[in-house]
Amino acid sequence: MIRVEGIHKHFGALHVLRGITFEVSKGEALVIIGPSGSGKSTLLRCINLLVEPDEGKVLIEGAQVNRPDIRPEWVRQQVGMVFQSFNLFTHLSVLENVMLGPVRVKGLQREAATAMAKELLARVGLAAKANAYPAELSGGQQQRVAIARALAVDPKAILFDEPTSALDPEYIREVLDVMAALARSGMTMIVVTHEMGFASSVSQRILFMDAGRIIEEGRPEQIFENPQQDRTRAFVSKILR
Amino acid sequence: MATVEAVAVRATPQAAVSKRALIRAAEMIGGGLVLLFLLQWFLGYSLTDPDMWAVYQRSFASGTIRTLGYVAIILPVSVILGFAIGWARVSRFRTLAWPATVYVEFFRGVPPLVVVIFASVLGPNLLPERFQSAELGLTLGATAIAFHSAAFQAEIFRAGFQSVSRGQLEAAQAIGMRPMQSMRHVILPQALRLSVPPLSNEFAVLIKDTSLMAIIAGREVFHLTLRVQDTIFREGGDLRWLFGMWTAVAIVYFILTFTVSSVMKLVERRFHARGIEAISV
Amino acid sequence: MAGTLKDQERKRARAFDMMAGIALTVGAIVVLVEIFVGRSGFDFGWVVDHLPGFLNATQLTFYVTTVAFGAGLGIGFLLGWARTARWIPLDKIVRDREQLREEGTSLVAARIGTIPVILLSMAKYLVRRIGDAYVEIIRGTPLFVQIVFIWSILLVNYPRLEQKELFAGLIALTANTGGYQSEIFRAGLQTVHSGQVEAGRAIGLSRWGAMRHVVLPQALRLIIPPLTNEYIGLLKASSLLIVIGVSELTGYGRNLAFTSFKIFEVFAVVTAIYLLITVPVSKIVQYFEVRYRIPGLGIQQPAEARV
Repeated sequence: MIRVEGIHKHFGALHVLRGITFEVSKGEALVIIGPSGSGKSTLLRCINLLVEPDEGKVLIEGAQVNRPDIRPEWVRQQVGMVFQSFNLFTHLSVLENVMLGPVRVKGLQREAATAMAKELLARVGLAAKANAYPAELSGGQQQRVAIARALAVDPKAILFDEPTSALDPEYIREVLDVMAALARSGMTMIVVTHEMGFASSVSQRILFMDAGRIIEEGRPEQIFENPQQDRTRAFVSKILR
Repeated sequence: MATVEAVAVRATPQAAVSKRALIRAAEMIGGGLVLLFLLQWFLGYSLTDPDMWAVYQRSFASGTIRTLGYVAIILPVSVILGFAIGWARVSRFRTLAWPATVYVEFFRGVPPLVVVIFASVLGPNLLPERFQSAELGLTLGATAIAFHSAAFQAEIFRAGFQSVSRGQLEAAQAIGMRPMQSMRHVILPQALRLSVPPLSNEFAVLIKDTSLMAIIAGREVFHLTLRVQDTIFREGGDLRWLFGMWTAVAIVYFILTFTVSSVMKLVERRFHARGIEAISV
Repeated sequence: MAGTLKDQERKRARAFDMMAGIALTVGAIVVLVEIFVGRSGFDFGWVVDHLPGFLNATQLTFYVTTVAFGAGLGIGFLLGWARTARWIPLDKIVRDREQLREEGTSLVAARIGTIPVILLSMAKYLVRRIGDAYVEIIRGTPLFVQIVFIWSILLVNYPRLEQKELFAGLIALTANTGGYQSEIFRAGLQTVHSGQVEAGRAIGLSRWGAMRHVVLPQALRLIIPPLTNEYIGLLKASSLLIVIGVSELTGYGRNLAFTSFKIFEVFAVVTAIYLLITVPVSKIVQYFEVRYRIPGLGIQQPAEARV
């Protein structure tokens, strides 16, 4: 459903993405792993056009979307994003955070949006916190709200940029559970993460990226237990300890 | 993390006027009264001297009203202008950003008094005949004060915009908001909230700046008090009346700045999103 | 390749943007100058003739500013330090005493009478409050009023004093900058944690050594930029001495403009002199601020003007 072909991106002299090509099918949960600086975040941001690729194509359901005549806002309604630092809107309550997208972007009426928001919050287990403000929530709670917020605009797919990396250990589980439930319900997901347990149990395919290129691709068991490439082997041994 | 503070925040309900604020106000008034008493004792004058007021009261009243008038007009103008220039300053269009920067550097580098004097004298040359009037100089002087304050307010707004973390913008984009929408619903609300405390300071400065109008005969309270002072010098009168008059003037400015600060604090509290400073800075 | 076309477009747009920016700025200035000066032209000769007068007045401006700033430095530091004094509320003293009595401690501290502690605390309270009141007054009233008030005090009590105006101006400016500087010192002192002194002593430094090698380097970095800005602010504020007839730069300019009718020329010179002083100094301060800054350490600098 989402396909990228030959993506290149430079930041000044730095060649961050050096020709990335892969595909994600509908309902699949793809995990991308790799050392920091390998360009994983940039790649995600190229897919929902927060960053414009210098070369290459981004295709959603077969149609190329990185074109000057297509509004990036429309693309982002199709593909949502959950950030490492949550980025909840600090001046709005939890409920308003989730409602903002449906009301302002999709033009929903407030009552309908409120009902939908409450339902989404219940789905991530935070119905009781609807009127709290982000600063009053723990990291895990904030991230779950962020997931509800991303779901609120009814995207076809969601990108997760290291969603648990900024969390205290005791909160990681609750976020991963929500993500796993999401995957089981058939949402198309691309997840950049270091959580190997999640990768093994939830995804069917893992991509290993390093220095702007995809080094290896395969099923979780293969990547973790029997990596083909040396760099993959080195990275996996470091994180699996 | 934030949960402990959250409990504390919810435990103490935010009344509009908290007990601590009342104690502070009482301390201030009490201290002020003590101070007045000491001043009068040391410098040998009285604030309530009826002879002084006989001479002074008309000037005091009309001057104070005029000061209020200046503030009422200059403040809104300067806020609108300052906001526009602050926005221009952070714009990625150099067409907007560079002139805005030059404007700010100019008005921050030159004393406001200089601008007031020369605006009121040179300005009339700029405008065609039909606008000329006795009041034109004063209007231009007041405009100069507004322009000057706008430069400082532009910096405050600029800092407010830049304090909103980049992630907020990304998140707004990620749910499909157009640039105008993300500015209106995400960036602006936070930037404005962050700007309120420093703006409160700048408003106090603006209130005091109205006294600059005296140099161009603005007939506000400072100017008129100077005129009464001159009269006392020329025609003789108790020189100690001077202290009383100037103390009265000081009190006027105090009350004005205190009122504006209090209003701003109320605004701050009304729009305060719990924990906004903690996250966004 | 699709990328380069867009790149070219973007570069062209950026160039246009820059040129429009410059054009707008320069254009506005040129238009303004033309309107004022157009018919008669800018009288450069006259400006050159009168330059010594201007520079003289500028000298007075510098003199007044520097003297007031220096004196204000002492006041500001003492006042700022005084305003960091922490007193213990009366009820807490009583409670602590009772607690000690209950525990039956025979510590020496318990034997220091309650009265001296209360007196010391009251003294600290008064000092703190007086300091606060002073700063509130300075910040709450226009500098104009402060200048005239001081001047009238001198007028009444020392009628035969020579150069009352200059003296009054210096006192008023000193008092004013002292108040603002005390805010800077207070913020600087409070920002560098007391924990730093403890940490310094924990690695073996004496109290003074900790001050010198740990606290002071941090505190200096904190207070020097705002203090420099304060100097600039004071320089601009000195223009207000015009109200009691001191012939610093603005006063000289105003008088000259009204007698010579070369109003725009005077305005241009006066503005140019102020800008030539304030803008470079601000830039230098900004540069050093960025270069020597300690990440995570800083005073919230008010961008405020001051009158």
